[in-house]
Amino acid sequence: MYYGGIDVGSLTAQAVLINGKGIHAYKSMGVKPNPVQSAKAVVDMLIQEENVPWSQVKFCVSTGYGREQVQAEGLSQDNMSEISCHGMGASFLVPEARTVIDIGGQDAKVIRIGPGGELIDFVMNDKCAAGTGRFLEVQARTLGLSLDELGTVSLGAEKVLELSSRCSIFCETEVLHYLQRGHSKADIAAGVNRAMAERVAALVRRVGLEKEVTMSGGVAKNVAVRAELERMLNVRLIKYGADSQIVGALGAALMARRMGGNS
Amino acid sequence: MTTLQRQSTDLETDYVRDWKKKGGKVLGYACVATPVEIIEAAGVLPYRIKAFGHPDTELGDAYLARFNCRFCRSCLQLGLEGSYDFLDGLVETNGCDHLRGMFENWQHVKEYDFFHYLKVPHFLRDDSLEYFTEELALMRDAVAAFAGREITDDDLRAAIDTYDEVNAKLKRLYALREQVPPAVSGAEVMELVCTGSSMMGADFAAMLDEVLAEKENARVSGYKARLIIMGSATDEVDLIADIESTGALIAADALCFGSRAFWNREGEDGDPLRLLAERYLGHLFCPRMFTDYDRRIAYILDTAERAGVDGAIITYNKFCDLHGVEAVSQRMDLEKAGIPVLVLEKDYGSQADTGRIKTRVQAFLERLGK
Ligand code: SF4
Repeated sequence: MYYGGIDVGSLTAQAVLINGKGIHAYKSMGVKPNPVQSAKAVVDMLIQEENVPWSQVKFCVSTGYGREQVQAEGLSQDNMSEISCHGMGASFLVPEARTVIDIGGQDAKVIRIGPGGELIDFVMNDKCAAGTGRFLEVQARTLGLSLDELGTVSLGAEKVLELSSRCSIFCETEVLHYLQRGHSKADIAAGVNRAMAERVAALVRRVGLEKEVTMSGGVAKNVAVRAELERMLNVRLIKYGADSQIVGALGAALMARRMGGNS
Repeated sequence: MTTLQRQSTDLETDYVRDWKKKGGKVLGYACVATPVEIIEAAGVLPYRIKAFGHPDTELGDAYLARFNCRFCRSCLQLGLEGSYDFLDGLVETNGCDHLRGMFENWQHVKEYDFFHYLKVPHFLRDDSLEYFTEELALMRDAVAAFAGREITDDDLRAAIDTYDEVNAKLKRLYALREQVPPAVSGAEVMELVCTGSSMMGADFAAMLDEVLAEKENARVSGYKARLIIMGSATDEVDLIADIESTGALIAADALCFGSRAFWNREGEDGDPLRLLAERYLGHLFCPRMFTDYDRRIAYILDTAERAGVDGAIITYNKFCDLHGVEAVSQRMDLEKAGIPVLVLEKDYGSQADTGRIKTRVQAFLERLGK
């Protein structure tokens, strides 16, 4: 018997299947034009590749920005906020975790959890894109780098350039300005990553840092942002034994297992 | 169709249109410190300015700045683009600087024949009550001149009686929402308070009778948690509806388009202007009042206790200095009292933000174990 979790975010969609023992399989992909299409596509991919009939999935929970529509389509039986799900998923992967930093495409959240992964408190960035994956995407594009390269390239920086602007759009102008003045991409990229980390660190301070700390979401893969955050917050960010992008969907699957009567 | 469903969120409602057709005058005001009784006593319709439809703010932005609260910029937008041309004048107060900027730019461009600046003291003391009474006399004279008639003490007393009735009925409505299970939702209550703010007191009281009779035996079910909401001036009925769509019930409020507009406005008989001064200044639960935080938080805690809430939402518009600062102490004091808090900073009426707001509220309910 399996339990499913579907996480449809603004940029990527994930599906996770768990059983009594733990994670059985997972898949991740870029989103389609609407959340229901994304959910269907990622679930299809998962059950086909893993050869699991959907009928064997006893209970499924959806999360993320498309969670309600996914449930309304009957793809899940319940929905939970991504904030609870990230806490739950992180706690499963790193039981000692008490603070989870989750940076997605459009949102940044810092989540405080208890020993069982239960939600204690959280903060979420407001409207603007500063401090989210979108910020990095804009700057990477200006630098002519891929999102993945942004982190690795900056490791070769000789000097971290300062980006003083809080706003993504003004920051882009600053990046262009540095490029025109002949600064290396590595130095500028390092500045971008540091600016990003500063914003996230401020969010962490708002909710209060409690050890141990983990990081989920796409930006967790950026080595430079991780390193900057570790330095600024004076902590070690514990790595997951699984892809940092599936944490929300995993949390949803764990919720499904709990709701489905098998915790 | 119930009385509630008939309410529209138009600015110029059928009621206002009829009123104008009959030759009636309308005065716009924004702040709950404005004694509507004085306006009514002159036979003029007091109209509380709203930004229904939360329009874009290009015109408003040309006069105010992006770092002014968007509620004020939206109101100004409506004023400048002509949606409020049915008003015959404006009454400004020194609530917050954003609102003042809104009023003064509006008047600068539109040049209404009537414009009155009511100065509301920032302290509640004997001398400030005296000062406010004098200010109200100035307002009475100005409104009387505008209406072309005298405003006698008897006129004022009659208007005060009317609003006593309105307030008693609103309290009854609030009791219906506080009860378990409630008979009305938070969104319905806010809609009604907004509707009443475009009507003469006696007509609003009659409408409340209808609503109360309809709702007496109604029951709202299916909610997971009871919450109190407090914060900035906002007429966002859809914000409350969005919050309630996640399974919360707004069982009580300390909002400006809510209980703060009428709660405890009682007082002794006597000189009607002095009575109005006491009622308004003495019950102005707004962070614009100095050295009055203890009374404000006591009022919120009392309300929360009476309604038996599971948690609280403090909401304010970006750049709202008054409520943004107050939110910090409020949060600490509510949590000290064992009430979990969600602070919701938002842009006024931003539809793009709906998803994020709902996520935060849903997570908050999950945090409450609901
Ligand atoms: S929300 Fe804040 S800025 Fe806007 S009117 Fe109210 S107190 Fe003033």
